Amino acid sequence: MGDRIVRSMRLRRAAAGALLIVLMLSVAAPALAMSTSRITIDQKTGGLQTRFTYQATADEDAGVDRIDFLFPEGFDTEDVYVELTLLDGLKRIKADYEVEILESGAVSISFDPAVPAKSNLFIEVYDVITPIAGGTYEIPVEYEAVTTDDDTETRKDPGLTVTYATPPRQEALSRWLENQSLVRSWNSVKFLNIFFKPQHIVVAFPLLFKGWLKSLSLVLLAFPISIIGGLLIAFMKMAKIAPVRWIASVYINVIRGTPLFLQIFVVFIGFRTIGIRLPDFLSAVAVLSFNSSAYLAEIFRAGIQSISRGQFEAASSLGMTYWQAMQHVIIPQTVRRVLPTMTSEFILLFKDTALLAAVGIFELMMYSQNYVARNANLTAFTVAAIYYLIITIPLINLVGRLEARLAQSEGGSSAPPKGRHKRGVLLGSGAAAPEGAPAPGLGPAVGSGPQVDFDHSAAKHESR
Amino acid sequence: MADAIVRIKDLHKAFGSLEVLKGVDMDVQRGEVVVILGPSGSGKSTLLRCVNRLEEPTGGEIWFEDVQVNSPKTNINEVRERIGMVFQSFNLFPHLTAKGNVMLAQRKVMKRDKAEAERIAVEQLTRVGLADRVDYFPAQLSGGQQQRVAIARALAMDPHVMLFDEVTSALDPELVRGVLDVMKELAKAGMTMLVVTHEMGFARDVATRAVFMDGGVIVEEGSPAEVFDHPQHERTKDFLGHIS
Ligand SMILES: Nc1ncnc2c1ncn2[C@@H]1O[C@H](COP(=O)(O)OP(=O)(O)OP(=O)(O)O)[C@@H](O)[C@H]1O
Ligand SMILES: [Mg+2]
Repeated sequence: MGDRIVRSMRLRRAAAGALLIVLMLSVAAPALAMSTSRITIDQKTGGLQTRFTYQATADEDAGVDRIDFLFPEGFDTEDVYVELTLLDGLKRIKADYEVEILESGAVSISFDPAVPAKSNLFIEVYDVITPIAGGTYEIPVEYEAVTTDDDTETRKDPGLTVTYATPPRQEALSRWLENQSLVRSWNSVKFLNIFFKPQHIVVAFPLLFKGWLKSLSLVLLAFPISIIGGLLIAFMKMAKIAPVRWIASVYINVIRGTPLFLQIFVVFIGFRTIGIRLPDFLSAVAVLSFNSSAYLAEIFRAGIQSISRGQFEAASSLGMTYWQAMQHVIIPQTVRRVLPTMTSEFILLFKDTALLAAVGIFELMMYSQNYVARNANLTAFTVAAIYYLIITIPLINLVGRLEARLAQSEGGSSAPPKGRHKRGVLLGSGAAAPEGAPAPGLGPAVGSGPQVDFDHSAAKHESR
Repeated sequence: MADAIVRIKDLHKAFGSLEVLKGVDMDVQRGEVVVILGPSGSGKSTLLRCVNRLEEPTGGEIWFEDVQVNSPKTNINEVRERIGMVFQSFNLFPHLTAKGNVMLAQRKVMKRDKAEAERIAVEQLTRVGLADRVDYFPAQLSGGQQQRVAIARALAMDPHVMLFDEVTSALDPELVRGVLDVMKELAKAGMTMLVVTHEMGFARDVATRAVFMDGGVIVEEGSPAEVFDHPQHERTKDFLGHIS
């Protein structure tokens, strides 16, 4: 395609034609030479499709045969189209013209017949793509004047000087994508356009990253606090003193019995009305911790109580105190046993950070909602989903492996060797084990293994 | 009497309205091996568990050396340190290796330093024939091996008395021997032992005294030969007839 691209343009009836004419007249300058009254170009940052408008009055002594807009290198004029209005005084006159896009990128408009002297020209060049790199560019205008004695000469017009800011990289990429034919055909599929629009993906990803970090830091702060709180409440619930148990029960039941959404509003709005004012981020951490503590307390309590009494008795018979037995015997076993459920709880809590969008915490969901509202496209939700999944999928996977390992180690003392070997193969390296497991068939009838009534299925872990 | 290490006086224990021990008296001399026999539910385990107060007696007195076990003023953990107990279900700590099991209470209760606790652990595990299993986890050991680890764990605390509650009942028959051999060695070494068991051979060979319990009281006691070969009471005869 080394040749010129030639496109004929039909004069289109502009909807706002009348308005346009009024506008032109109001700015028309006294005409000595081809007097340019106005050249404008939209957009302030590069890489965008824009409209270039040119408004001028032809010289008194000559008609105009051709006008060239000499877009410099960097401008993409390949897909431009031109709207042209020609006026003789107030009267709109017919113009026959052809638009050529030169190899240099210049847009050349030839008139046949030539535009009469003194007529007013209004030219709009649509879909000019401005250079992505910022900077100052000159767009000179040249025209071929046809004098009354039929001479032609090339005359110059001052043209236009424009300055662009370089857009952020992702914007630039987005704008570049905008013009890729592959992207266009992708976007022509409605579903893909709405949920997977490449232009939005490249912009939303870095933008939502901040929200993702916020969500992560919320949960990474709240979860350790919840572990401590959960342990505290779990031990309160197992306390000897009844009122202590009641307090723990009430706490657990109230928190688990009400929606987190409600708890968020209580903390964010309720606390404020009674005069407690925390920074939003701290309030968010607090409400997540309050909530998760209750769930973890139940997980811990169930875990601790699932450890067989014999463990505690063995520790006691060796002279260990209650807390020594807890610390060195019961808790380590409980941790291993509740790890899968705890991980599920972490996943739930991480997803629940989304609810904080309702009170204006700028976390992942909030970022994506804003983006969607601004751009009328749902791609940002897809991006948010990916950000959530980056965390949750590996953890879901981990839960599965922890469960399998747990089943293996707990089955170890009582399950038939067959099952153990099978799992061992599936898992590759399961629980850490020195060489030389006992020969099959040596398993005791009653193992020291813990009871099996503890529910370590993550699937059964209630959601909220 | 002067050298009695455990003295039990009119011991009563009830679970709610269920009276399990109805007045048990027993003195155990230093170095004695007392075998306790009796039908299921007669209160043998409960008696043993009262000695180190895993069960709280509801009446009577238990003395260990010069402290009353069931007195609120007694620091029970100090008493338990000196009373080793081995359970039917082993109750090894599954998250620790054999050595870890034997070391834990030495470190936390006796405050032995790590090197000493480790040395003693290996020593005791060697004593029960598990020198080559010190780094195994309980799940990797046979029941008999696990039970021997449990014995080593109790011995590492330098107990003055050992309580054994049907320690071979959960084992496959071929594994019982190893555990009984360890107990025999222990008896030979002069350990004071209270042993609840159905192993008659062991009782005959090792016990210095046999005690027959039924219905929460001691029905009959004496040397193993007396009790096994010439039982005085119908219930004893009945019981012995059933198990042999
Ligand atoms: N924690 C408890 N709560 C209520 N009842 C109990 C408890 N422990 C034991 N019992 C009851 O006390 C009675 C005696 O139990 P114990 O375990 O001492 O018997 P045992 O002689 O050891 O029998 P076995 O030979 O079956 O072990 C039984 O009826 C038992 O049900
Ligand atoms: Mg018993």
